Amino acid sequence: MRHFSDAYAALRRKNKGQYALLAGCSFFSVLLITAYVCMMRSPTILSVLPEGGDSRKQVMMVFVLAVIGCAVFTAYAAGLFFRQKSRETGVFLALGAIRRQLQKEIGKELAVISLGSCAAGAILGGPLAWGVWQLFRLFLVDSQEMTLTFDPKSYLLSLAFAAYVVVMLFFLGGRSIRRTNIIDIVQESHRSEPIREVKRWYGPVGIVLVVIGALAGYLMPSFFVTVLHWYPPEGLTAVFYLPALIGMYMILLHTVVNGWRKRHKYRDIIATSMMKFQGRQTVRNMLVMTLLIAGAYFASFYAPMLSTSSAYSFSTRPVDFEYHWRNDQNWPEEDEVQSLAAEYDVDITSWQQVGAATLGGDGTISIEQDNGALGTTYTSEYREIASGATFFSESAWNALTGQNIDLAPGTCANVLDDEGGSDYLSGGDVTLITNMVTGQNLSVAPAEPLCYTMLLGCYVLDDGDYDAITAGLTDDWRETWVFFDVADVESSYPFADALFNEIVDRSGPEIEVFDAWDPVARELEIAETGSYNYDSKDYLAANGLGVIDYDDRDSSEFRNYWLYMPQFRILDQNDFVTTMAVFLVLFIFIALICFAAVIVIAFTRCMTIALTNARVYDDLRHLGAPNAYLFRSVKGQVSKVFLVPAIVGTGVIAAFYLMIMYFNDNRFTPGEFAGMAACAAVIAALSAVLYGVYRVTRRSVCRALGIQDR
Amino acid sequence: MLTVKDLHKSYQVGKTTYEVLKGVSLTVEKGEFVAVMGPSGSGKTTLLNCISCYIPIDSGEITLGEKQLADLSEDTLAKVRNQQLGFVFQDFLLLDGLTVRENILLPAIIGGTVTSQTEARADQLCDVFGISAIRSKYPAEISGGEKQRTAVARALINRPLLILADEPTGNLDSKSSRAVIRSFEQAKESLEATIFMVTHDSFAASFCDRVVILRDGVVWRTLEKGGTDRTAFQDQLLDAIRDMGKE
Repeated sequence: MRHFSDAYAALRRKNKGQYALLAGCSFFSVLLITAYVCMMRSPTILSVLPEGGDSRKQVMMVFVLAVIGCAVFTAYAAGLFFRQKSRETGVFLALGAIRRQLQKEIGKELAVISLGSCAAGAILGGPLAWGVWQLFRLFLVDSQEMTLTFDPKSYLLSLAFAAYVVVMLFFLGGRSIRRTNIIDIVQESHRSEPIREVKRWYGPVGIVLVVIGALAGYLMPSFFVTVLHWYPPEGLTAVFYLPALIGMYMILLHTVVNGWRKRHKYRDIIATSMMKFQGRQTVRNMLVMTLLIAGAYFASFYAPMLSTSSAYSFSTRPVDFEYHWRNDQNWPEEDEVQSLAAEYDVDITSWQQVGAATLGGDGTISIEQDNGALGTTYTSEYREIASGATFFSESAWNALTGQNIDLAPGTCANVLDDEGGSDYLSGGDVTLITNMVTGQNLSVAPAEPLCYTMLLGCYVLDDGDYDAITAGLTDDWRETWVFFDVADVESSYPFADALFNEIVDRSGPEIEVFDAWDPVARELEIAETGSYNYDSKDYLAANGLGVIDYDDRDSSEFRNYWLYMPQFRILDQNDFVTTMAVFLVLFIFIALICFAAVIVIAFTRCMTIALTNARVYDDLRHLGAPNAYLFRSVKGQVSKVFLVPAIVGTGVIAAFYLMIMYFNDNRFTPGEFAGMAACAAVIAALSAVLYGVYRVTRRSVCRALGIQDR
Repeated sequence: MLTVKDLHKSYQVGKTTYEVLKGVSLTVEKGEFVAVMGPSGSGKTTLLNCISCYIPIDSGEITLGEKQLADLSEDTLAKVRNQQLGFVFQDFLLLDGLTVRENILLPAIIGGTVTSQTEARADQLCDVFGISAIRSKYPAEISGGEKQRTAVARALINRPLLILADEPTGNLDSKSSRAVIRSFEQAKESLEATIFMVTHDSFAASFCDRVVILRDGVVWRTLEKGGTDRTAFQDQLLDAIRDMGKE
C-alpha cells in the first residue's frame, strides 16, 4: 500500500456496511419517490383525478409527506455515515493530510455512491410502479381505464429528488472535511446528541396542540369561505395544521425523554438514557414515521371507506332501478323495458312512472373577485332566478316513493337524504319559482323538508301549484322519472347492463353533460354573456371538470358525473370496483409506498441503535448484566421506535378522519359507521403487519448485539 | 528545536471566558525527552494542542526549528504535521481498517513518500518496538500496549523533528505503560528522536530528561533529571506535586 487512495480503499472495504447503508438508503428513497411520482403523474391517474379536486390534493399531500420523509431519512443516513467517518477524517488531518486530498477521495466515493444509487433508484422506480400496478390488475381488479402509461416528464420530479440526494451528500461530505477544529472531528464519534430538558407538560400540551391544529386546519377554510367570503390562496390554509405538527413533535419528545407512566427509577435506565441522548435524530425520525403512518392510513382508508359506504347506499335504496330522462329524448319506456326484461328472463314486479319539471328557483349566488396572490373574495347577491332544479307534484312524489304527503298550497318542500341530512348537497329552501319558458313565477313558503336519498336536491309542490307553474313548459324542460323493481335483482345484471347501454345509445348530444350542468343557469349566462361555459368541453377539461363522453360510458367520470346517470342497484354494485378501480388501486399503492418507507426507516433506525451502542452493551455484559436485562433494554428501544409513531400516527389520523366525517354534515351516517368499521379492520390488519416487522427487526438487532431474543 | 514564548489561550463558554494558558514559555532542545505534568485543568493538553496547531492560539509564539507555526498557511501546517511532527494520542487513534504495518506507514502514505526504503523503515520500527509478529494484524486484534507502540512507530515513520505525545500511558496497564515508555527511550536513543509528552503519570515522567510542571496555566516549576537516578527523580516529582498541593 503506497498511495493515499489505497488506504482509503482498504478502509472502505473494512467499513462496507456503512457504505452499503448509505447507498441503500439513497437508492430506496429515490426508488420510492420515482415510483410514486411515475404513478402520480401518469396520464392514467391524472385522467381520473380532477385538477383542483380533493383526490388530487390528497395524493399530492401524501406525496409531500413521502418526499419530506425520504429527505429527512436520507439526510439522517448521510449524517450517520459522515459521523462514523469523521474519526478517520480526523486521524488523516491530525497526521498531516491536506483537505484537498480528503476532498478528492471522498468526492470520488460520493460520486459513485450517490450517482450509482440514485440512478439505480430512478431507473427501477418506473418498473416497480408498473410491476405493482400489474399485480393489482392481476389479483385485485382490472378495467379498461387501468392501462398504465407513464409521462416521461414525471422523471423530472424524480431527477429533482435525486439531485437533492446528490447535493445533500456532497454538502455534508464537504462540511465534514471543512471543519477546522481537528479535535472536534477526532472526538465527533463520541459526541452524543443531547436534547434540552423536556418538561412533563410537553405531552399534554402536545395533545392539545394536535387537537387545535387538526380543528383549525380543517375548519379555518370553511370559516374563511362562509364568514369572510374569502377563498385564500392554495397552501395558506395548510399553515393552520402547523400546531398539529408541533404537537406531534412534543408528544414524541415527551414519550422518548419522560415517558407517560411513572416508571421504576432504575428499571429502564439504560434504554431510557440511550434514547434520550440520541435525542433529536430519534425524535425527528419518529416524527417522519408518524406522518408517514398517518399518510399511509389516510390513503388506506379510501378504499374501505368508499366501498363500504357505497355498498351500504346501494343496498339501502328503496327501489332496484331508477332512471329519468328529458322528455325531448327518445328513451325506452315501459313496454320496451318489459320486452328487454323478458329477453333476459327478468321479472319486473312494480313500475312507477311520473312526470317532473325543471324550474328556476330563487337564491343567492356568489360573485367572485380574483385578487391575485391574495386569493379570491366573493359577495353574495340575491337573485330571483338563481339556479334550476327538478320539481315534482305531491301526487307524483307519493306515487314514486310510496309516501303519503299533503302539502299546503303555496308551500314547497326540499328533499334531503334518508336521514334528513346532506342539506349542503340540496339546493336549500326556495321562495320564488319561475317557469323558464313562460316567465311566470310563483311565490312559495318553505315546507318541512322530505327525506329520500335517491331524490336528494329535488323539490315538491302542491298539485295545484305544480300544474299552474309548469303550464306551457316545452319537452326540454320536462322530465320523466321511473322507479321499478325486479323479482330477482341479483340475477338481473345482464338486463341492467343492456338497459343502461340502450339508454346511453339513445341519448342525444344535447344531454351529454355533467351533473353541474344547469339549464336554468345556462339560460341566464347565455342571456348575459352569449355563451355557457359548461357547454364547452375544452373549458371543462381545462378546469378539471367532468367531460362526459358516451363512448366512455364505463369510465368512472361518466358513471359518477353524467347528469342523467341511471341508478341501477345491481349495475352499481357489480361495476363499483371496476368503475372506481383507478382510485382504489392508486390509494392502495400510496399506502403501500408509505408503509414500505416506514418499515425501512424503522428498521434502519433500530439497526443503527445496535451499531452505535454495541460498546455500551459490551460494557454492560462486562459489568455482569444477564441476557434478560440486555434483551429488555433492546426491546425497550426497538419497541419505542416502532410503537410510538404507530400509536400516535394511527390515533391522530383516526381522530382526524372521524372529525372530517362528523363535520361533513354534523353527524355520522349509517354508511359512515359501516366505513369506520372497515377502516378499523384495516388498522388491525396493518398493525399486525407492523408488529410482525417489529419482531423481525428486534431479532435482527439482538443478533447484531449477540443478545438472545426471548 | 521547539520554543514556546508567552503563550496565551482562552476558551469561550457561553458568555464566560476561561483563560487556560496565561503566558507559558518553554524550550525543548533536540534529542530531549521532556514531560509536562500538572493537575487537571492546568492547561497541559491545551498546550499540546496549541503546539500541534490543532487549535488556534490567542497570542504568543510557537517556533519549531526555524518556523513560526502561527504564520503558516493551512497546507503548510499540514505538511509540518506530516513531515516534522509525530503524534501519539491517549486513545491511539489507529485506523481499524488498516493493519499494524499500514497504520505505521500512514503518515508516509498521506505524504505520498512511500518507497521501498520507507517500507523497510516500517519493518525496522516494528523490530525496534517488538511488534513485528503482529504487523499483519488489525488494531482490533492486538492489546492496548501493542496499539500504543504501533502509534509510536507511526509517529516516527517520517523521521519528525519532534514527537508530541498526549497521555500515551493513560489507557494502559503498568506493563504496557512500561513498554511504551521503553519505546520512547529507544526512539530517543536509537533514532535520536525529540519527545514532548503530556502526562499525569509520575512514573512515566521519571524517564524524562526534564519535567515542566504547569499550574493554573503557567509554568510553576521545571525539574531537571541530570544525573539523578530514575527512582530518586520520581520521588522529586512526587515531592514537587505535594508542595504544589500545600501552596
